Amino acid sequence: MKRLFAASSVFYCLGIILVSLTRVSFWLILGLGIIIITAACLSFRNNRIFIVLVFLLALLVGALSLKNSYMRLKFHISNFVPYNDNTIYSLSGFVDSQPVMEQAGTSFVFRAQEIQANNLKWACCGKVLVKVDFPQDLSYADRLMLSGILRRPSGFSSGSRSYRNYLSGQGIYLTMRIKNSLQIKREGGKSGSKLIIFSLWLRAKLKQVIRRNLPDLPAGILSAMVLGDKNSIPWLVNNYMVKSGTVHILVVSGFNVGIVAFAGNLLLKIMRIRRRQRILLTIICLLFYCLITGASNPVIRATVMGIVFLLAYLLQREVDIYNCLACAALFILIVKPGQLFDIGFQLSFSSVLGISCLYPRIKSFLRLGNCKFRALRFICEGCLVSFCAWLGTMLIIAYNFHIISPVTILANILIVPLATLITLCGFSLVLCGSFSPFLGGIFSTTAAMFITLLLNINAAVIKIPFAYFYF
Amino acid sequence: MLNFTPEEKKAALFLLIIAFCGITLNSLAKLNYRVKKLFCPQERLARIDLNKISLEDLIMTRCLPPKTAQRIIAYRLQHGNFSSLEGLKEVRGIGNQRYERLKDIFFVE
Repeated sequence: MKRLFAASSVFYCLGIILVSLTRVSFWLILGLGIIIITAACLSFRNNRIFIVLVFLLALLVGALSLKNSYMRLKFHISNFVPYNDNTIYSLSGFVDSQPVMEQAGTSFVFRAQEIQANNLKWACCGKVLVKVDFPQDLSYADRLMLSGILRRPSGFSSGSRSYRNYLSGQGIYLTMRIKNSLQIKREGGKSGSKLIIFSLWLRAKLKQVIRRNLPDLPAGILSAMVLGDKNSIPWLVNNYMVKSGTVHILVVSGFNVGIVAFAGNLLLKIMRIRRRQRILLTIICLLFYCLITGASNPVIRATVMGIVFLLAYLLQREVDIYNCLACAALFILIVKPGQLFDIGFQLSFSSVLGISCLYPRIKSFLRLGNCKFRALRFICEGCLVSFCAWLGTMLIIAYNFHIISPVTILANILIVPLATLITLCGFSLVLCGSFSPFLGGIFSTTAAMFITLLLNINAAVIKIPFAYFYF
Repeated sequence: MLNFTPEEKKAALFLLIIAFCGITLNSLAKLNYRVKKLFCPQERLARIDLNKISLEDLIMTRCLPPKTAQRIIAYRLQHGNFSSLEGLKEVRGIGNQRYERLKDIFFVE
């Protein structure tokens, strides 16, 4: 069976879905798992039975991993706080995310290491979402002492899509609101990963290069497209792009990872570095880019796929897109099985699956390969890729956002090539602007022109009658 | 030394084209101020003009509940155009928290 790995990962996902829908005991799954392992060992020579048992085992592993992710350690911070508790707790730990600065305040994820209440102190673990009501200059890894009331997040909406479930998917079960500056005390020093500190520092520097060379609006859009920082995108721009179905261009995805791999490989090639070392260095570049952009699901997917492709090239093995995609999905789901229910995860994988599954079939059906005009064929192929990605994601978008945008295909045909140019200009600006402000100035004007054109096109396409409708 | 691979040629060509376009645009903008519009996006692309938007369009943007949108338009009809965004605070249903959010969505020319 050529796609044993891809099929196993499908069963792994099915196991996760099964457990989320039912209330099966952990011990029952464990017992079944042991029985199946024994049966698989005994039927090693019978290929058919063995494969069936492997699939069943993959299903149980998926189920077990989700059950495991629900379990919290005894000294997890959420176990110290009862419901409706108004006790003031003191937490010691460090900032575990890049703080989001808003006009009204700051919010960040705090990793607690020690909890204190009523003169009693315990070592603990776990994350708390902290919302500060005033602007506070903080950065990742800052050691802090916080005091305040710990609350469980409110649901906002019922069902699996509630805010509480969203936060618990990220491992956050408590929130703390800071209203007074006396509630925050710096302990001095830094904790956390040095690699993440460095990548965040680099991200801030690259963002500065963009800000220095472009006006606010294009700078915000370019930061999102190149560095994955969506904080500066105006609400209206985001809203218009959701309506036209082109919001995916504001997210760092496989295309960006492809550019990094290509640019890294090219630079190393120019430096006459040997093939093996070049591939390994390109992989390191990809990992680093993944960290800089915040390691979101689409970036992790693209990075893992890129690494698998490069390793296959290095080892001179044939690459199968479905196995590659399965590898990326498993990489994310083994660490966080709950991510299967994350919309970003679903959109990212369904779009790639839509392209890899439908594109070759539709292309051969339409006989695009026979088209004699290269330019026309290129344009048709581009349109077809957009169409396949749209087909792949349409149902998920309709279910979650209650919007259907027939204009998506037209919008993508016009906007995706522009977004490609903007991303390429953005990378050129970031790379050249870091070394010379003059070069940055040259590249920034072209990038700003493409961004202006993109915004105008987007604003125009959503004004077409029946461009989109909510239901 | 000049033995480039096709990828190297494409990358070099692309960088040169971008640089060429950038310098040309910069020069044209110095000669004619209107050219600047080509690479400086207008405010209306990122924010809504509070004095020009119609009720239907305001409701369609879904940035406000329909009732608040109606109140904004009614206020504009009654008191004339908004002279600044601060005027939004005088509309019933818009407190400080909502104003902070709306500040980024609207602009007044």
